[in-house]
Amino acid sequence: MIHITIHDKACRGCQLCLDICPTNVFTFDAAAAKATVAHEEDCIGCLSCSYLCPSGAFRHEEHRIVKNFYRDCEFLSRMEKFL
Amino acid sequence: MPELLEQREQLQATMTFLGAIASGIEQAIGESANSISYLAGKRLGMQFSEHAPKTDDIEEALSFVGKVLQENDCLWQFEPFKVHNRPGVISHSEQGDEVMLVFRECMIRQSLFKFGHHQKGSLCNMMYGFFSGALKNIMGKESSLEILHAGENGCYKRLVVFKKS
Ligand code: SF4
Ligand code: SF4
Repeated sequence: MIHITIHDKACRGCQLCLDICPTNVFTFDAAAAKATVAHEEDCIGCLSCSYLCPSGAFRHEEHRIVKNFYRDCEFLSRMEKFL
Repeated sequence: MPELLEQREQLQATMTFLGAIASGIEQAIGESANSISYLAGKRLGMQFSEHAPKTDDIEEALSFVGKVLQENDCLWQFEPFKVHNRPGVISHSEQGDEVMLVFRECMIRQSLFKFGHHQKGSLCNMMYGFFSGALKNIMGKESSLEILHAGENGCYKRLVVFKKS
């Protein structure tokens, strides 16, 4: 299962992650004015929260990173053994 | 392994070419680009799944669709997903059966990113068409595949397989 950590000091409470997350993984702690992880098990690993967070507050673990299309044939040939 | 590398190179080249074409068509003809991609995807889905086994079971049908994609070297990896507050993977309604799908590796997303094209455009609609064609062959039913979220590392979609009318 994917594990998510929000860096408490980095979070500025903008709630962008709550808006973007398709499976409502987060809730907002109004008292602390910070996002918190409520349903980690629902994370699909899209990484949109991580891309969008202005503070870079996220850390995801145990998620699968999609392999990109390589722009350079040299890199593509080096990737051969992993394809 | 060189064969695999060659396949990957060809796939990249074809998909980036398609990405550029789709983006150009969207600018030239707007909304109709979606229908063109849908129909192209549907045709592909029907063609590829022509000899796939038939079933009424939606989960089994999805595994057949996955196999069809794999056998035809399509980099479109998906899996059914259940969030904590849904009773099961499949939910039944008046319309038909609904399943949430997560798409991870996706040759369309990867080619769109390569040139900075938008997601949820006409090329993404091709997948809707593909499922529609393949499920028509496998289950004999109409279906829809709605993009709920197009993310950087994965997409979330709602598949509805409609009841036979
Ligand atoms: S997007 Fe980042 S800064 Fe904004 S609420 Fe979420 S974790 Fe905090
Ligand atoms: S990776 Fe995607 S699904 Fe997971 S918490 Fe972030 S936005 Fe939500």
